[in-house]
Amino acid sequence: MKFGKRLKQQIEESLPAWRDKFLSYKELKKLVRLISSAESCVEYGKADVEAEFVHLLNNEIDKFNVFFMEQEEDFIIRHKELQQRIKRVIETWGPNGTKPSEAEYKDEMAKIRKDIVNFHGEMVLLVNYSNINYTGSLAKILKKYDKRTGGLLRLPFIQKVLQQPFFITDLVSKLVKECENTIDEVFPVEQEDEEEIVKEQREAITVAGKGIFRNTVAALLSMQEIRRGSSTYGHFSLPPMDLPDSDLIHSFQLNSPIPIV
Amino acid sequence: MEARPALSIQRSGASQLSNLGVSGGLSSSLSIPSTHLEGTYQKLPDIQQVPSERELTTRPQVHATRVPTNNGVVGHIFSSSSGLSSDLHYSSVLPNEKHSRNSPFISQSPADTASLPLSQSSSSLLPQPTIPSCCNKENSGSWCTDPDFLDFPVSTPVQSGQVENIQRSEDFSKQNDWQEWADQLITCDDALTSNWNELLVDNVTNLEPKMACQVAKPCTTMPTQNQQLPSPSVENLRVVNPSSSANNAPAKPRMRWTPELHEAFVEAVNQLGGSERATPKGVLKLMKVDGLTIYHVKSHLQKYRTARYRPESSEGSSEKKLTSMEEISSLDLKTGMGITEALRLQMEVQKRLHEQLEIQRNLQLRIEEQGRYLQMMFEKQKSGLDKLKVSSSNPENPAATSDATKEAPTKSELESSQRDHLDSGTGTVNNAKSMLERSSREMGGEDMATEAGDLEKTKARVSETSPELAAKRSRIEE
Repeated sequence: MKFGKRLKQQIEESLPAWRDKFLSYKELKKLVRLISSAESCVEYGKADVEAEFVHLLNNEIDKFNVFFMEQEEDFIIRHKELQQRIKRVIETWGPNGTKPSEAEYKDEMAKIRKDIVNFHGEMVLLVNYSNINYTGSLAKILKKYDKRTGGLLRLPFIQKVLQQPFFITDLVSKLVKECENTIDEVFPVEQEDEEEIVKEQREAITVAGKGIFRNTVAALLSMQEIRRGSSTYGHFSLPPMDLPDSDLIHSFQLNSPIPIV
Repeated sequence: MEARPALSIQRSGASQLSNLGVSGGLSSSLSIPSTHLEGTYQKLPDIQQVPSERELTTRPQVHATRVPTNNGVVGHIFSSSSGLSSDLHYSSVLPNEKHSRNSPFISQSPADTASLPLSQSSSSLLPQPTIPSCCNKENSGSWCTDPDFLDFPVSTPVQSGQVENIQRSEDFSKQNDWQEWADQLITCDDALTSNWNELLVDNVTNLEPKMACQVAKPCTTMPTQNQQLPSPSVENLRVVNPSSSANNAPAKPRMRWTPELHEAFVEAVNQLGGSERATPKGVLKLMKVDGLTIYHVKSHLQKYRTARYRPESSEGSSEKKLTSMEEISSLDLKTGMGITEALRLQMEVQKRLHEQLEIQRNLQLRIEEQGRYLQMMFEKQKSGLDKLKVSSSNPENPAATSDATKEAPTKSELESSQRDHLDSGTGTVNNAKSMLERSSREMGGEDMATEAGDLEKTKARVSETSPELAAKRSRIEE
């Protein structure tokens, strides 16, 4: 039950558009309960319920795949666009550009920077999404199923899941890294003076990024929580997480209205 | 669409051929069209240009040979996903069935052939081979859905039926260059059984022959799609999900885009004068990517346009929804720091999350891998027990142990970076160890227990590695 709650919380904290894209853990759990009670009921038949369960799971997987690939496609497009945008800005307003203008340049760059960081964040959240659905949900629900019914559904099913597009996040990860590289190149770590930036703009930008930032923090913490300890530690369980700067990250929660346990 | 007329032609022709023995017929009939092969082969490049709406069924071989031209795309397809599913189970069974089921084939073939109006003899060209789409579907991780092949009520190994059909249509097609395909067919034939397991296990390395083989890959799990074939809607071909119980009406074309593909797309769009002026049809033509349908292009174009003309809003849309009073109150933390700092901090956190995700993912993969491996070992052990205990299990063990230890260190090093406390680490190790030992004892295999013990010992040993090393390692792996 604890996990279900945590999952729900995490879903709450995710980007609104994504909220219904997660695994319907509750429903599946209900089904599992149904199965174990149905076992005694001869008419229903274990095979039927199992088929139903598998069917549901497959639907969920479909859902993940579709969503994931849509997002991925979007990311690919946006990634390219960002790169182009940067190029354009550098070429027009940059020092060697056609219309060098430092103010414009800085302005645009700031915008781009914000966009890139948020873009990066979104991509990471997508990877997180994939992960949640896998660990948190599929693995978990399958484990429950096997435990309740004594079935051996888990192993082969998980193998299948591992092949699913939504689990294979390599491309998104690659984009994430490229993003990081771009950021490092285009925005080298230096002391910029912020005076020129209007305060409102700053606030607006920060707020906009806040959503993603919050989600990221939440995701990290949830991950840590989930792995903190398990009552049923098997050799399929993940060990506790080693999260450097854990305290720093926890501190971000200080002002958050939604308590994250 | 021309599918229908072609279909009828096929049927009539097919019945004549049905007398040919399958295995015998193969080589003989293959040799027949060889002369015809040259002529039409050159036409194929044109064929590819034809819009995909006219997609009939496939010339798998055609596609197979054309694959190299799209290596960038297809290669990725294979490397990114090999949408396994229960279908694979079917396919692994099929090659065996094939050989024992020759006669049933012949009787069914007339039906089979119906689905393969390959020999577009004179008129119809094969616009877009379905198989390639099948292969392209790999992008979406789907192996199986090729309704074209399923247009017959066959539950039998389609691929052999396929082979037959191809062979038949070859007889019809006077203009097709089947020579190369014939060769591939023959090699495919032999290779089918042996390649099958390879196909299942690793991603396709050798494209051509395997493409042809995979082409033949039956999508026997899609009985419901039989009725859908007639509508040439390409969408039917793109059912993504290998996991689908095959009962989902495949009206959801899903293609996994890659950056390379997108690059080609952008180029095509630019050639056509920009995203506003480009039409899906034109782009599709220019891109010349097999398996890409106009629907894919359409939706992608739409996304592209949106992204271009509202770069900020498209990115900001999801975030702005989150702006609320509560959010603003937590702003204090960030605004005090200044933009760059804030962004940098955000970046750091994001990077951290990503890092952790990768680590976790690797862990998961390893865990499953080991689980699978151990399972296999248990089964081997079990069967080995029935036979000579000592002699059969001994040779396995050294090899197995070395494998196990090879896998274990990798996993354990990753794990060790996760373990804060040796206690919890040891706890896990002990738990796992005892579990393994318990189960192996159930199997009655002493050897397994030792092996499991070795595994755990290695884990424990490695987990004492310094965290820095481990962290470094995970970075490298990234």
